Amino acid sequence: MSESQKKILEMLAENKISVDDAHRLLSALGAEEGAHTGNKNTGQDAAGNLVNKVLSSRKYLRVTVTPPEGGTDDKGNPFHDGNVGRVNVRIPMSLVRAGIKLTSLIPADALDKANSALREKGIKFDVRNIKQEDIEELIDALGDMQIDVEGGKGEKVKVFVE
Amino acid sequence: MTWPPMLMKIHVKNETHDFGFWLPIFLVLPVALVVLIILLPLIIVGMIIFWDSWGVWALKVLWAAIVSYWSLHGLEVDVQNGNKYVYVSVV
Repeated sequence: MSESQKKILEMLAENKISVDDAHRLLSALGAEEGAHTGNKNTGQDAAGNLVNKVLSSRKYLRVTVTPPEGGTDDKGNPFHDGNVGRVNVRIPMSLVRAGIKLTSLIPADALDKANSALREKGIKFDVRNIKQEDIEELIDALGDMQIDVEGGKGEKVKVFVE
Repeated sequence: MTWPPMLMKIHVKNETHDFGFWLPIFLVLPVALVVLIILLPLIIVGMIIFWDSWGVWALKVLWAAIVSYWSLHGLEVDVQNGNKYVYVSVV
């Protein structure tokens, strides 16, 4: 593996670039190397393999809520160790995968109710159309997700995959 | 290879209570297995009789329960709100 490829994968692992960006960069890099060797498919194949390798190494969905630095609680007391509101949840991706697949066990009646509830909210979507491949795609796409929200009081909410 | 969960650490704290313990879930697994083996003939007969209604669904639920249990390895929940604190870790 070349230094450039390593650098791209490090950036992907650190969420500095998205999966699509990494794939594009690796493809371009591989195409350049392939042009030298005369192999046209080297770029795409190598990029796909390397990106999949990094994605498969992401194992946990993390949800963290951290209080603002120097903030105070509802009573005006400054935050200190033992008097602070924080959340740190680490969910194995395999559990997320298992949980999403549990949707196949939802009875048809409940799905109908979910569809009608969605329609009431103006969303024309049939949850019965969700296929196994869609679920796999959704789980893969989760690896590229990063939510970073700062609340009104300065608390930080982060949702990401590591 | 993904290992099944072996131990669960639970720590709960509030104004009046503060306790934590390790739950050896690797000991629960053999017991659950024995119970499953004992009940297996009944489960199989039930599934064959009711195959068209809830038999297939029961099989899927059983499999989903096993997969979910296996996937618990690595779960960590650490929530604190003021003096209240809950920590659950599955290793």
